[in-house]
Amino acid sequence: MKLLLHPAPRSREAERSLEIQGCSRAIERKKERKKSSALFMAFPAHPQALIQPQSRSYGADRAGAESCAAFKVEPRGPGENGRPKEIAVQRQNAAFPTPYRKTRTIQHRVTGAGQGLCLVAVAHQPFGKDPVTILWGSLCPVLLARVQLGTAAIAMEFAELIKTAKVENVQLSCPGLPPIKGTLCITSHHLLLSSQPGGNGEQSTVELWLLIRNVDAIEKSVQNLGWYQTSRTNSSHRDTRTASSLGTITLKCKDLKVLQLEIPGMEECLNIASSTEALSSVDSVMMMYPFFYRPQSMKLKDGWQLYPLQHYYQQIASETSAWRLSCVNGDFTICSSYPPAVIVPATVDDKVLKKAARFRQGGRFPVLSYYHKKNGTVMLRSSQPLIGPNRKRCQEDELLLSAVLDGGERGFIIDTRSAQAAKQARMMGGGTEPKSFYPHWKRLNRPLERGRPLQESFMKLVEACNDTSLSMDRWLSKLEGSKWLAHVKAALSTACLAAQCMEREEACVLVHGAEGTDATLLVTALAQVILDPDCRTLTGFQGLLEREWIEAGHPFHCRCAHSAYSHARLKQEAPIFLLFLDCVWQLGHQFPFSLQFNEHLLLVLFEHTYASCYGTFLCNSEKERCLCQVKEKTHSLWSWLNQPSELKKHLNPLYTYNALVIWPSVEPQSLQLWQGLFLRWIRSSQYLDEAWAEIQRLVTSCEDTPEGSAGRTLCHSQPDAAYPLTITGTANEG
Amino acid sequence: MTHSSGEWRCLHRLFLPPPEKFPFPMTLTCGIPSMASSSPKYNSNSLESSSIKRIPKDGTKWEQNEEIPRLPGETSITDKEVIYVCPFNGAVKGRLYVTNYRLYLRSVELDPVVILDVPLGVIARIEKMGGASSRGENSYGLDITCKDMRNLRFALKQEGHSRRDIFEILTKHAFPQSHNLPFFAFVNEEKFAENGWMVYNPMPEYRRQGLPNEQWRVTFINEHYGLCDTYPSLLVVPYNATDDDLKKVAAFRSRNRIPVLSWIHPENQAVVMRSSQPLVGMSGKRNKDDERYLDIIRDANGQISKLTIYDARPSVNAVANKATGGGYEGDDAYPNAELFFLDIHNIHVMRESLKKLKDIVYPNVEESHWLSSLESTHWLEHIKMLFSKRIHLNKRQHLSTLHKLVLTGAIQVADKVSSGKSSVLVHCSDGWDRTAQLTSLAMLMLDSYYRTIVGFEVLVQKEWISFGHKFASRIGHGDKNHADADRSPIFLQFIDCVWQMSKQFPTAFEFNEQFLITILDHLYSCRFGTFLYNCESVREKEKVTERTLSLWSLINSEKAKHTNPFYTKELNRALYPVASMRHLELWVNYYIRWNPRIRQQQPNPVEQRYMELLALRDDYMRRLEELQITNNSKISNSSTSSASPSQMMSHVQTHF
Repeated sequence: MKLLLHPAPRSREAERSLEIQGCSRAIERKKERKKSSALFMAFPAHPQALIQPQSRSYGADRAGAESCAAFKVEPRGPGENGRPKEIAVQRQNAAFPTPYRKTRTIQHRVTGAGQGLCLVAVAHQPFGKDPVTILWGSLCPVLLARVQLGTAAIAMEFAELIKTAKVENVQLSCPGLPPIKGTLCITSHHLLLSSQPGGNGEQSTVELWLLIRNVDAIEKSVQNLGWYQTSRTNSSHRDTRTASSLGTITLKCKDLKVLQLEIPGMEECLNIASSTEALSSVDSVMMMYPFFYRPQSMKLKDGWQLYPLQHYYQQIASETSAWRLSCVNGDFTICSSYPPAVIVPATVDDKVLKKAARFRQGGRFPVLSYYHKKNGTVMLRSSQPLIGPNRKRCQEDELLLSAVLDGGERGFIIDTRSAQAAKQARMMGGGTEPKSFYPHWKRLNRPLERGRPLQESFMKLVEACNDTSLSMDRWLSKLEGSKWLAHVKAALSTACLAAQCMEREEACVLVHGAEGTDATLLVTALAQVILDPDCRTLTGFQGLLEREWIEAGHPFHCRCAHSAYSHARLKQEAPIFLLFLDCVWQLGHQFPFSLQFNEHLLLVLFEHTYASCYGTFLCNSEKERCLCQVKEKTHSLWSWLNQPSELKKHLNPLYTYNALVIWPSVEPQSLQLWQGLFLRWIRSSQYLDEAWAEIQRLVTSCEDTPEGSAGRTLCHSQPDAAYPLTITGTANEG
Repeated sequence: MTHSSGEWRCLHRLFLPPPEKFPFPMTLTCGIPSMASSSPKYNSNSLESSSIKRIPKDGTKWEQNEEIPRLPGETSITDKEVIYVCPFNGAVKGRLYVTNYRLYLRSVELDPVVILDVPLGVIARIEKMGGASSRGENSYGLDITCKDMRNLRFALKQEGHSRRDIFEILTKHAFPQSHNLPFFAFVNEEKFAENGWMVYNPMPEYRRQGLPNEQWRVTFINEHYGLCDTYPSLLVVPYNATDDDLKKVAAFRSRNRIPVLSWIHPENQAVVMRSSQPLVGMSGKRNKDDERYLDIIRDANGQISKLTIYDARPSVNAVANKATGGGYEGDDAYPNAELFFLDIHNIHVMRESLKKLKDIVYPNVEESHWLSSLESTHWLEHIKMLFSKRIHLNKRQHLSTLHKLVLTGAIQVADKVSSGKSSVLVHCSDGWDRTAQLTSLAMLMLDSYYRTIVGFEVLVQKEWISFGHKFASRIGHGDKNHADADRSPIFLQFIDCVWQMSKQFPTAFEFNEQFLITILDHLYSCRFGTFLYNCESVREKEKVTERTLSLWSLINSEKAKHTNPFYTKELNRALYPVASMRHLELWVNYYIRWNPRIRQQQPNPVEQRYMELLALRDDYMRRLEELQITNNSKISNSSTSSASPSQMMSHVQTHF
């Protein structure tokens, strides 16, 4: 089966046809042997991909999952002796990642998820010796993610999810663009629409190339256009009835764009909708697109070691010998969300660290986040101490913190919770450093919103932005009601406070909240952008993200599972990283010449945290990345971004090195809505894009030869990004 | 422990300001070396820095006397020790100088020196605050309300009626018209390299538009302002209408402001006309000549069956105007015209809206509910209405035309002319406020010439100054009657719209934000004759062009300062801004510019960098030209080198 497709970027073409062929072949085969339990190769890239026939019987159990107590997993495949293993399935409603650090036995957790069941298989054995796989996946009626010990191969039949692979005459409409008619295809990871090959040679093909992972919510409506007619005329033309029915699917994407597909045929419409829904809710990391994406121009291992912590440590080591690189967490046993290597005071040995880790939630003991070269002060981050209601104390933790300070120096602890919330946390076993045990540290509370309130604020804001009702007279109060800008303000001022402590007071700072994986990272990362000119360069910023977000264990997988449109029950989603990007954008807005990168980079980062073909933002921690072999089996976003052609698009042409600290204004009138993101699909960015292209041309023209400059070619790096909403007319036409 | 906690408190006070003021009030930022370059010392008032900058850049010779800057022709009148009660940094002791042009304050303390430099024309109202017996620090003195979104407060010693003299002198010179004194513009002796009065001459401007032609003629019927005293002497009217016809039409239009041409589309010959309301009255009077005249206008276009009339007012107001003898073009009398109401409110609504805006931005910005209080001022909403609105359907309209009506306001006017290829007539009540806003904004959208510096000056000179926008009444130049109901920020609103457009099309305008701010500053300053008086006839009587200087002289003498480095010359592209509330921003750099926390974020390097970029661009253009010359032969030989910039340029030129 060959699809008529129009030329696409070369690197993707081969891969796409592979994907399409694979799927269509899958469907054909499915038809051939319907009842057989034949093994089926879904992807050439994964020869071991297998169907597990039992999956259906298990899936049928979905409705009555409560009764399910145990099931059998039969590991099959190369290298296995075929001995079946009994594995108990324990049903828990705890959302992952649960602190399974202490688990010693093989354990499966089944948790209810929006779509079918979610299987979390945690096999815990000492890392490195016996291969272990940790995996979670949706157990849809037809989908099973299977763990194979030893090879970590995944059995999965995407094709079974695809009920209709191809529909002709589908109309795509998005706001501000004339509708496009074409052929719609579903592959395992993409929705493709290629406009119909007309005889008109001039007409360029408009293609939709949508990562299904990007779909946040699907709304479908079916109109039975022919129904009344047929019933009135009393004819029995069933075929005409279905043919004239028309279904509309609204795809609301995680990058906030909204697409509408009009699909002829009710059945096709429903099939497409349910297939997309099923494919987009595949929750297993290793079944995500980055594991299948193999662009020809890139090598797999590139870009993963661009910003090693060792490199950052060496910069510090060249200034001072007070810090050392510790590998105490080399096997992730001390802290599952920390990277293998962390920077700690040189005078503190690993034994102390191990004990201090036990006193901190999730084992996140205080580590160095930033070294301020100007005056040698440092910023540390951690999670809350486990003081508990009994006012426990831990000598090692106190030692670790006092080792940071020289003799009479003082430090500040910035707690990202309110004083009351910090106090209340004691009842749950947490708390905050009491003054009596940490006499040299002064506590400051700066409550930052995280979790659900932040997600709700995000959803409210997007709803307000997309409110196309014509009377927009309440826009500003809606904007205020979303509280998003208040969150931006709070984040920026807390980061300013941390920066102020270091720059003005020349004191060390420890930042933590509760878990120390969200607001904490927001503050430490933002403070570094404010303080350190190196973090404002393109590579420096990438390094910062790698250090302070990815390696520091921000749970991207959980936080970015859904965006602002999803109707699914909120679990752990929170746009904390988006808030960080917004704050950086505000900095760039207030200091137009001080950031080397432009808004576009921030937009790319936003998109790729929610849905990506690169592995950089996959998983929740370094440990999970290790287990899923992300760094071996996926490409790095950085290696793509750093290609010269891409790099160019993300540079701020007005950048000049600014060694100063950039203190932003957090007055309400200084903070603007990030229109480029929140109104991206509503406004026309055409003129602004043109403007930037012009500025780019202007600034680079004197560096390049005039021939080398882009001239009047306007760069629309997002081909589908510029939907002109306004009418552009050339008065001279005709 | 107690000892250290005491220290903590100290430290806390030192660098942790109370949350509502956080972060970085001026006391914190000054003195930090890293900030020094980006924050302008202790200045509470930005005219300080601009005045200092003005000295070298103006090209004028300041008479350095008594250490205050003076323009040629400016004479010092008095000076006095006062305390300037700065709303941002507290009381500042200083010496206040008053000249016939400005109010100037220099602080006694030199580090940091606080300077206040306010043209007297900016002053709207001077009040005495406190009495001889009032207690409290700095409670006795003067409170000065300015037209440019700020208030100044000076405290004086209570003994011996110390404020009486200064109050009288200030009142006399700030409101010269009320005291039989001339405007400063008439004694100003500055010299400029350029003569701004030469910028606009109606004849060349109409010629640029391709007028007169077979359909349109230039008439001198109003040469001595006999037809209409608020119109310019030179008018463009349909060729087929005789001067007698015009006189008859004038009788049926409010204040004789007959429909005349403002702009003609170079391609489709559709025109933008302006006028005042017809004098229909309660009885629904008709005038055959007016009806015929509008038909002639429609015919001149040739392509349309109906003339589109935009009445800027809300329909309710238009109906209400019938009671005072006005009204609108009814269906029966004008079967060949379509009438739309644009729902733009009158000058009183705008004035109140701006007043509310000032309340929330000066002296302190309303922080807790910034956005909703901004919304409650409706200022942005009024701006939006000028651009566009959803229209109330007139009963004659068909649903088929509905989609075209989504765009209204100036955008709709522009769209009708450009895309609809139809002539339009715009009017409100008198045709000098909302009409001027609409026609000039539509022309700005339609004609790229008006987006250049000189073109914009021509636009202001033509649509606003010559067609009798009542600057004297709306601004109240030199008039003490601060509560005059005729005052309204109509022109400010127009400039705000222009700024909104320049935000949305960063490369489309040759001028920058500074240009617009300079215009607004001198709208009030009375240093130039440009905005003085209500109409051309009065200006001629007062010999404004001979006796005063033009603002454009100042601007055109230092063009670089007002040039947008990212300007790309484009011909004949119509711009349609997005007028959704979501895309309109408050012009923070104008309305909140006195707030030092705002200024801090706009350090001078921005301007400097723009200048650098400008130089870069000039250099680039020069090199491009050189390349074009050398490459000429190559291009003629090979057609494949598509990347050559010179060819691209030529492509661009042929395309437009």
